[in-house]
Amino acid sequence: MTVVIGCGNLLRSDDGAGPMLIRKLWERGVPPGVRLADGGTAGMDVAFQIGDAEELILVDVCTSGAEPGTIFELPGEEVETPPLEDLNLHDFRWDHAITMGRWLLKSRFPKKVTVFLIEAENLSYGFGLSQTVEKALDRLAEELIQRLGGKGSET
Amino acid sequence: MNKQEAVAKKKMEMKVHSLGRVEGDLDVKVLVEDGIVVDAWTEATMFRGFEMILKGKDPQAGLIVTPRICGICGGSHLTKAVYALDTAWGTEVPPNATLIRNLGQAAETIQSIPRWFYALFAIGLTHKNYASSHLYEEAVRRWAPFVGEHYEIGVLVSAKPVEIYAIFGGQWPHSSFMVPGGVVSAPTLSDITRSISILEQYRETWLEKILLGCSVERWLENKTWADILAWLDEKPEHRDSDLGFFIRYSMELGLDKYGAGPGRYLAMGSFFHPQNYRYPTIEGRNAALIARSGVFDGEDYHDFDQTRVREDHTYSFYRGGGSYHPFEGVTDPLDPMEGQKEGKYTFAKAPRYALPGVGEIPLEVGPLARQVIAGRPGAEDWQDFDPLFRNIIKEIGPSVMVRVLARLHEAPKYYLRMRQWLNQIDLDEKFYIKPNELPEGRGFGATEAARGALADWIQLKDGKIENYQVITPTAWNIGPRDRHGQRGPIETAMIGVPIKNPEDPVELAHIAQGYDSCLVCTVHAYDAKSHKELAKYEVIKV
Repeated sequence: MTVVIGCGNLLRSDDGAGPMLIRKLWERGVPPGVRLADGGTAGMDVAFQIGDAEELILVDVCTSGAEPGTIFELPGEEVETPPLEDLNLHDFRWDHAITMGRWLLKSRFPKKVTVFLIEAENLSYGFGLSQTVEKALDRLAEELIQRLGGKGSET
Repeated sequence: MNKQEAVAKKKMEMKVHSLGRVEGDLDVKVLVEDGIVVDAWTEATMFRGFEMILKGKDPQAGLIVTPRICGICGGSHLTKAVYALDTAWGTEVPPNATLIRNLGQAAETIQSIPRWFYALFAIGLTHKNYASSHLYEEAVRRWAPFVGEHYEIGVLVSAKPVEIYAIFGGQWPHSSFMVPGGVVSAPTLSDITRSISILEQYRETWLEKILLGCSVERWLENKTWADILAWLDEKPEHRDSDLGFFIRYSMELGLDKYGAGPGRYLAMGSFFHPQNYRYPTIEGRNAALIARSGVFDGEDYHDFDQTRVREDHTYSFYRGGGSYHPFEGVTDPLDPMEGQKEGKYTFAKAPRYALPGVGEIPLEVGPLARQVIAGRPGAEDWQDFDPLFRNIIKEIGPSVMVRVLARLHEAPKYYLRMRQWLNQIDLDEKFYIKPNELPEGRGFGATEAARGALADWIQLKDGKIENYQVITPTAWNIGPRDRHGQRGPIETAMIGVPIKNPEDPVELAHIAQGYDSCLVCTVHAYDAKSHKELAKYEVIKV
């Protein structure tokens, strides 16, 4: 099974891209064997969502200084955040969740972890994505549907 | 005088820095003299603008927005948001929906108990400062992060209760499945049986086996502090359970001696009687609560009345001063630099309660507050009456230990309630009754999140949100001084605390964490004269 988790806070503009992507994929329909989860801002629960997945795909936004809307694809091991000692419940992100999940799930931890990050344009308080990130999200949704073996849009 | 004592004798400032590595989200600045805390200020440096986000939006926006305020108590935010609209629109809520809302709230809370205890609080008790205790090695064996035997069990079991939430709510957290007039789920018999089996797993793998060392029923027979001491001696399983061990170890470390707080408590109550709150109104709320609301002023109990809630922002980064009821509440933020010139020091407002004959007072919220209120005589037979914590604070006074104990005590209580509610659901009856969406109105919704009283006040005009105010448990507890100069609860709890090692003030961390605010603590210790940082203490780091 492949699990796709979108992380972020809908109340912080572009930071809502992760949960919005999950909605898009849900509306488009994903093939059997794919599970979608809105990770929101509950980091530790992202770790619990991973169980029994062979492959994990995480989606969030980032601020790396690149052109807004840029999509990055990273192998999970590159962004996992050790050490575990520094964790707390109130500032627990998906990078901790990968580390936490590896510890919690042991042999059940997914064999492959991929992280997609979209460069944010606007992270201020409020609803809704910037146009740039919205467009990037559509591209990423299309790409993920293809990769997951679903039907792409017929344009 | 050795060097350490000499340092402690000097007057110095410490900063309890919360919210982990997001530096600057909550600082508790503490003034230390001769090794004792003499003053404290809680400084929240994070602005939360959800009231502004909601203004002018669709009335139901609160159901989507407020559960996203917090990744830890999203279900509690949803619960009070939906009751705010139920009261504003005058809905009818079928008993089944009330049962499911109760279940959701309780599931989130019993999830939080082991997760908070193992992943946040107990870690601090394995701190090297306590290495001289003869119980220390045992504490490390149980609770050391990631390697402790019970740490792993506790963290794993915390994933279970929210599976029940997800069965009814589709997902947890950030679900919006409670809507005015009911819930959108239509559970089946297998959903109910699955939920029961998840609860049983929670009880068997952790609650009775690890936490209590006895049956849920046996633990709940304890009605006084003397009962608890007798329970400890009754069987080795009791003494050696996590709860029994926690009590013994706390008393050895002195966690029963400090962190009392204001000694005045507020619970807004939670869980409704399914028949008695079919037609939710602000006025009818108190009488329909299973876990009752109320104020305890240190001597007497008082009914809770939402009209007496105020938010003072004299010391908060908002324009002007004053103290308003949330229906009149304004959120008009100031640049902190500008605010500091007026003596303001935090983004948190200071919630207060205008007690008749006394005036506006700060109140502690959270499990201890709830359990003290549960001791109020005069409960109906279907309401929670539990005299244990009223007795404990009378016998030994409030403290960090007692606050933690109150939280753990709720796990068996809520487990039992959830079993009852699951049995009461009538699958042939309604879960939703479509309401009339009134364009004008005022609503109040409240609940008890794991960490305390949580409420929304909503005002509708022309079918839109005219004003929306949320008061979180964290605001009650970490709020600053008010115009009368009264400190907030955590500020009060810090006063008089003896700091054994000023370069590693773990005691302050226990207090801040005992309140379980939506914050995590790092302690920065500064010398008052040189303002040189003496120590940085991260509670989570071991």
